[in-house]
This record gives sequence, structure tokens and C-alpha cells, in this order.
Amino acid sequence: MAQIEIRDLGIDYRKPKSNEVFSAVDSVDLSVEKGEFVTIVGSSGCGKSTLLMAVAGLVDLTRGSIEIDGKRVDGPGPDRAVVFQEASLLPWRSVRGNVKFGLEMQRWSGGDLNERAMQMIRLVGLGRFSDYHPHQLSGGMRQRVNIARALAVDPEVLLMDEPFGALDAQTREIMGTELLRIWERSKKTALFVTHDIDEAIFLADKIVVMGRNPGHIKEVITVDLPRPRNEAILDSDAFHELRKRLRAHLAEDMSSMQLVQEVA
Amino acid sequence: MIAELFYRRQALVLGTLSMIGIVVFWQIAVDTGFINPFFISTPSQVAAEFMVQFEDGSVATNVAATLYCFVWSLGLAAVVGIILGVLAGWFADVESALEPFIWFKYSAPTVAFYPLFVAGLGYGTPTIIAIAFLFALTPIYANTLSGIKNTDRDLARAARSFGARPLDIFLRVALPGSVPVMMAGLRLGVGRALTGVVVAELFGANAGLGYAITYYGQLMQTTKMMVSIVIVVVLGVLLTQILSFLESKTDSWRVDSNR
Ligand SMILES: Nc1ncnc2c1ncn2[C@@H]1O[C@H](COP(=O)(O)OP(=O)(O)OP(=O)(O)O)[C@@H](O)[C@H]1O
Ligand SMILES: [Mg+2]
Repeated sequence: MAQIEIRDLGIDYRKPKSNEVFSAVDSVDLSVEKGEFVTIVGSSGCGKSTLLMAVAGLVDLTRGSIEIDGKRVDGPGPDRAVVFQEASLLPWRSVRGNVKFGLEMQRWSGGDLNERAMQMIRLVGLGRFSDYHPHQLSGGMRQRVNIARALAVDPEVLLMDEPFGALDAQTREIMGTELLRIWERSKKTALFVTHDIDEAIFLADKIVVMGRNPGHIKEVITVDLPRPRNEAILDSDAFHELRKRLRAHLAEDMSSMQLVQEVA
Repeated sequence: MIAELFYRRQALVLGTLSMIGIVVFWQIAVDTGFINPFFISTPSQVAAEFMVQFEDGSVATNVAATLYCFVWSLGLAAVVGIILGVLAGWFADVESALEPFIWFKYSAPTVAFYPLFVAGLGYGTPTIIAIAFLFALTPIYANTLSGIKNTDRDLARAARSFGARPLDIFLRVALPGSVPVMMAGLRLGVGRALTGVVVAELFGANAGLGYAITYYGQLMQTTKMMVSIVIVVVLGVLLTQILSFLESKTDSWRVDSNR
């Protein structure tokens, strides 16, 4: 059986100051194998974050179910760790303090917290910066800390919500390559939200394309590019082919968005 | 770091210069007959009188009496304000329950209750402490409340994703995140407590700077009165500066605090 089983998932939000409900995600079915790297793409507002937060156990499900290793998700758990879209480091803690934070919350009993944290900080290449505070780091460095904090608790599943969203194209590429290097060593299952097409292909075993109104899965594309991967792959024919397919999907979504605006 | 030091120095130098400027202006204005010294005395006379009061021990007595009330009222206001602020910030029901009192406190002048306190606590120290306590309580309570209440939701959610329980979020996210705002509240509270003590002493006390001010004021001995006024001002500046310094220590992690 797959490691993550999402069945007929639906999530409604209550609209502010009214009793109306808004369906953010509907009828989502998805299975993810152990060790798989799955990327989720789709236009802004199509429910990518909502889906990811549901897997994290941070939003309530309205319909359907999510199981991880056969266990129903009904809240956060030590088998999952999240790298958030928004900055979510504690500004008053150093890099090391932040990486230790997740371990402290989970009452980590696997040895010395400091050592564990330092190990993860070195893994993401920030060994020299362990005493820095978040406001002294660049955006890319901060996201490395976020990744280190998530990896430190040794989750089965790593949930990442546009972790490189705020970075420039070049840094993004470097971070993507780094992430793959780390992931190939740890072999964790990964769900990775992005709206960068190249990033989605470059990282993925499988790409989930989402559409909007309400958020649903349009297609799941398998990526058969060989691993380990490096930047050279971006110029291969297979990559171009996938890129074209994804572009077409997202363009479709954009035009339907315009239609909605015209009607409204 | 160096720029920061320079900035601090610069602020200090400018502040000191403007203070000296006022003193010089004061002296010149009186010397040239521009202002009648009967009303505000002169810096040189005040300095001389200060030495007299210093040597006969009345400076020490008055400062000690005022500081005694100040420390008690600020201490009580800090303890009560922080405890109530934390509870109200964390539990919305507590906030609603306390809200009427806060509105009441904002709209009614605290000194108006002076007679009530006198009736209950008698003239002197306990009443002075009670009035100053009320003066200082509001900013400490209000700041603590807003600090806890406005806990960063993204941080709280990140903590929850790692399995944090409500108590963890309170202790590790809400509380440390509120320290700078609480310190700002305390800084305001320091000024308010000192004001409260001096104002209450004006009305009725046996010692203290406020007492000395009314006492000599009623005797029209402006120079003697000015000594106490100057001491109050210097005390206020000094205490507030100490708190500002502590405040800057606690919020060095804030992005916009490098000033
Ligand atoms: N807490 C909430 N309450 C009400 N509506 C919400 C809430 N969170 C999200 N939504 C709505 O649900 C929809 C999906 O939001 P979501 O954040 O999942 O989109 P997304 O695909 O992650 O977008 P982006 O790429 O911009 O991050 C949006 O229309 C949004 O307005
Ligand atoms: Mg999102």
C-alpha cells in the first residue's frame, strides 16, 4: 500500500463574517509511495497550500480521509514535518535555537539536542552561521534553516510549501539542487508545492497538476528523468516535452480565470 | 555596530546639549530681566540651594520617600499588570470581563479617586502608592495584553506542526514574543508611576519631592521649590533611560530595532 493515501478529500472554509462556505479543495484522490518526491503545481489560490496543510494535520477535513502508513490523520504528528510558505522562524532564537525548536516540541529523546541540531545545520550548509539570528540571514539562508528544522525531527514525510518562492531564479536553482542532494541521502517521502514549472519537473518523480474552483487534481504526470539530476537536465528533450505539457495546463487555467473575471 | 554606537552617542550628545541650552537660556532670561526670578528662580540660585538641601539631608529624605513609594507602586503595577495582561491576552473571556474597568480607567482621571483612597487608607504612604499604582497599571496591562494577543499566527502554526501543545505555544512562542512590548509598557509605567507618586504627594504627605514642592510653593520660596522640581525631572529622565536601555537589550532580534 502507498504511504500516503488521500481519498475523496474535500475542505471547506467558512467565509469571514457569514455562514457561507467556500470550497477550497474538492474530490481529491492521491497516493504517494514511500520515498517518492511529488511536486504540486497550479495557479495561485487553487488550494495547494490547503492540500498540504491537510496532510500536515493543520486544517480540518470536511470530507474524505487522509491516511499515512495506514493511520488516519487527525492532527500533526512526528511522522510529518512542514516547511512553510511564510517565514516561520522564531526571530528571538538563533539558527541553532530554531532547529532545536522542533525537537523540543516533540520531546525528542534521540540524544543530545545541540548535536542533532548542529548536524542538520551543517547538512544545509550553515555550519558557520549557527549563532546568527533570522534577521541577520538572507532569504535563502532562512529557508535552509526551515528545512534543517524539519529534517531534524526525522519525519517520514517532508511537506514543503513553496519553500523557495521568495528567492530569485538563480538561488532557487541552487537550492533545488541542494535539496535533491539532501533528499537523495535521506530518502524521505516529499510533497513539494511550487508554481515554478521548471522546479516542479526538476525535483519530481510525479507532478500533481491542480486546477481551481474548487481546487481539484487535473492530472498526475510521471517524470521518468534519471537520477541523480543536475542542471544539465534542464536542456534535455524529455524536460522540454514536460515543460510544454505543464505550460498548456496552466495557460488553460489562466484563461478560465479571465472568463470568471469577465462574467463577474 | 559602530554606526549604532555613533547613533546612540549622537542622540546623547544632542539631548545633553539641548538640556544645557535650556539652563543657559533660563539663566540669561533672568539676568537680562526678561523674566522675573521670583517666579522661576535662576539656575545658579537653584544649584546653591541644592547644595544646602543636600548637606542638611533633606534631599536624601525626600528622594528616599519618593523612591520608596515609586518602587512599591511600580512593582505592584508590574506584577498585577503583567499577570492580568497575560491572562486577558490568552483568554478572550478574561479580556471581555476586564474591558469595562479599562475604559473606566481611560476616561476617568485617577486623581479624582484621591478622597476615596484617603478615606480607605488614610493620608500618606499607602494612598500615594495606591494612586501611583493605578497610574502605572494601564500601560503595563495594555501592552502585555496586546503582546500576547497578537502572537504571530504563523509561528503558532509552525509550533503546532511540530506537535506543540497550547502550553508550549504560550511559553515558547507567545511569551518570548511579547517581551519587547511588555518592556515598552514597563518603560511607560515607570514614567507614570513617578508622576503618580509626585502628584499624590502634592495632595498630602509628610515627606517626598512632591511634598517639598507644595510646601515651598505655598511659602512662595521658588528657589527651594525648584530644587525638588529639577530632581523630579532628572529622576524621570534617568529611570526612563534605564528602561529604554533594558528594552533595547530585549528586542535586539527585532528587524526594525537597530536604532
Ligand atoms: N483560512 C482560510 N479561510 C478562508 N479561506 C481560505 C483560508 N485559507 C485559504 N483560503 C482560500 O482557499 C483558497 C485556496 O487557498 P490556498 O492558500 O490553498 O491556495 P494556494 O494554491 O496555496 O495559493 P498560492 O499559490 O497563492 O499560495 C483561496 O481561494 C483562499 O482564499
Ligand atoms: Mg500557498
